[in-house]
Amino acid sequence: MHGPDISWYLVVSAILFSIGTAGVLLRRSPLIVLLSLEIMLNSANLALIAFARLHGGHDGQIFALAVMAVAASEVVVGLGLIVAIARKRLDLDVDRLRVLRG
Amino acid sequence: MIAGAWLCLLAPLGGALAITLLGESISRRTAAWLSTLSVFTAFAGAVASFAGLLGRGHEEREQVTTAWTWLAAGDFDVGLSLLVDPLSVTMMLIVSGVGGLIVLYSIGYMDGDREERRYFAYMSLFVFSMLLLVQGGNFLLLLVGWGLVGLASYLLIGFWHERPQAVAAAKKAFVMNAFGDATMALAFFVLISQTGTLDFEQAFEGAGGMSQTLVNLVALGLLGGAVAKSAQIPLQTWLPDAMEGPTPVSALIHAATMVTAGVYLIVRAHPIFELAPSIADLAAGLGAITLLVAGLVALVQTDIKRVIAYSTMSQIGYMFLGAGLGAYGNGMFHLLTHAFFKALLFLAAGLVIHHLANEQDIRKMGGLRRAMPRTYVAFLIGSLALVGIPPLSGFFSKDSILASALASGGYGQLLFAAGLAGALLTGIYTFRLLFLVFLGEPSPLVRERDHGHGHGHGEGPWTMTMPVAALTVLAVVGGWIQIAGIWHPFGEWLDPIAVGREHLALVEPSVTQDYVTSVLAVGLGVAGIAVAWMLYGSRKWTVPRLAATQRTLEHKFWFDELYDLVFFKPAVLVSGLFRRGVEEPLIGGSIAGVTFGAREAGGALGEAQTGYLRTYALAIAGAVAVLVVVFITVQ
Repeated sequence: MHGPDISWYLVVSAILFSIGTAGVLLRRSPLIVLLSLEIMLNSANLALIAFARLHGGHDGQIFALAVMAVAASEVVVGLGLIVAIARKRLDLDVDRLRVLRG
Repeated sequence: MIAGAWLCLLAPLGGALAITLLGESISRRTAAWLSTLSVFTAFAGAVASFAGLLGRGHEEREQVTTAWTWLAAGDFDVGLSLLVDPLSVTMMLIVSGVGGLIVLYSIGYMDGDREERRYFAYMSLFVFSMLLLVQGGNFLLLLVGWGLVGLASYLLIGFWHERPQAVAAAKKAFVMNAFGDATMALAFFVLISQTGTLDFEQAFEGAGGMSQTLVNLVALGLLGGAVAKSAQIPLQTWLPDAMEGPTPVSALIHAATMVTAGVYLIVRAHPIFELAPSIADLAAGLGAITLLVAGLVALVQTDIKRVIAYSTMSQIGYMFLGAGLGAYGNGMFHLLTHAFFKALLFLAAGLVIHHLANEQDIRKMGGLRRAMPRTYVAFLIGSLALVGIPPLSGFFSKDSILASALASGGYGQLLFAAGLAGALLTGIYTFRLLFLVFLGEPSPLVRERDHGHGHGHGEGPWTMTMPVAALTVLAVVGGWIQIAGIWHPFGEWLDPIAVGREHLALVEPSVTQDYVTSVLAVGLGVAGIAVAWMLYGSRKWTVPRLAATQRTLEHKFWFDELYDLVFFKPAVLVSGLFRRGVEEPLIGGSIAGVTFGAREAGGALGEAQTGYLRTYALAIAGAVAVLVVVFITVQ
């Protein structure tokens, strides 16, 4: 086993996840929200790969690859929506897009 | 013979279906002829059955044919079976024969009506239903026919559905008939539970082993049905209102055939009535009361058809009187002759109404004899037959009923007196109608119609005059098939059914009683005609003014008002109470509460839907955090 202890990886992962969550919750631009979501996904990937190395298996790495594929598709959809909103000349502000309120 | 019976039953049904299905692809005239053809085909089938029966010995004249088992439940099963015996063949001949003439008459009468096809489909349906009623080989099929004729009657009374009175009359007839249907159904339930069958023969045998109370109940239930269908007191009020229908309908359904079904039922179920003599006496008594009440009410009616309708009730009262006392053959004999002369009177009245452009008020008529001489003769012959003047048909049949009443003891003699009083009334009201309509000076309306059309107009198209002529002949000769004391082919023909069992000695009046009755009845009939002549013909007497009596008669003895007070008003009151006390607060209130609750809950939950993305994200994040904490602590 080379490199730092597993706990360091997890700490970095937790910090990244928190940064991402804060971004999703606090930022108003949908682009930044998407970006923050990516950070959260990648923090999870980091934790998965760290555990994969710890146990010496490949399952975690395969999971990480799957997460990346899903993340890529999700970004395509998300960016598509953002472009559609922009083309309708609406504000790129998630607080303004609240027609679904009860 | 069996094939004839099936042909007789199914031809009118085929006619009704064909007219309904072909719809507008055939002309109205074709539909009318199709209906006529189907009913005359039925008549041919009836004649074939009649000929077949004549070719057999007395004992073998009863045949049941079953097409298939129609209904089976455990030990109880009912076949789709027809019964061919002298009684049913007699009814088949009357229904299809008189029916055919009346449908033919309708072609002229209904000409130009927008909904002629519907009319003729209904007429064929009615003839089919009535034939099913009389041919049904068990009580259940009889009840099916019974219900179907009620339906056809409802449809035809309300045929002119844009007239509110016609619709109201149709509903009234249907409700009163439904009451009778219900009592009959109850009687059948008792029969099924006690004897396990509805076949005529087996049920009659089984009825012998039932307790007196149950037999009385069954007979009472059957009597209820008969009274409702035949418009006898106390269920008589629908018949005069039924005159809202087209005149041929009145002639066919409300004079010649359907209303006599009650008499047929009593004769058909006579073994049960013989086991319950008190109920049979009740039937005879109701008949006697009806014939008097209807005769009195007919004296003051002003609608030409209503007078004849009351006369129908009165004559059916005679039939009930006869059948209730056990003189089945005589009751059926009067049914036969009555079908002829009453259909004749209605159709002749229809000619008058047709001529006067749908005017039915006799106060606006008068002096029609000159404009319609042939109709006058037909009406005169029908009236004389109705009053019972020899040698016309009504004389033989009515007198034979009265003679039977005279021969059946003290109670019978009481009814005999009522029947004689009825004969006097019959003479007065019948000839009051005749004198007011045909004699005297032509009224303004009559003059106007004559003037408008000239004298070349005639009295109606041949399709209308031909049936009237045929019925005139039948009204004259129809009674000659049975002459008291001389020959009784009709009684002998019906004999297998009338004396099939020896429970009760049939009333058999002696020749002396026959002649005494005839002299009295004819004398009273002639006296009635004389009174009518003095009052309405020569007008030597003035009509007595008795305000109270007149008002009572004009209100038909307050029967409608009584039923309104006893049944209608309380029903409306109770249902109003239930609406305000139960329906609105409890049922309506609880449903309103459910909707109110759902709406409020939805509104409250809607508050949580802010539309802010961050709220949802926070909720997810918070929930995950809580779950993580829960999982960790639980472990």
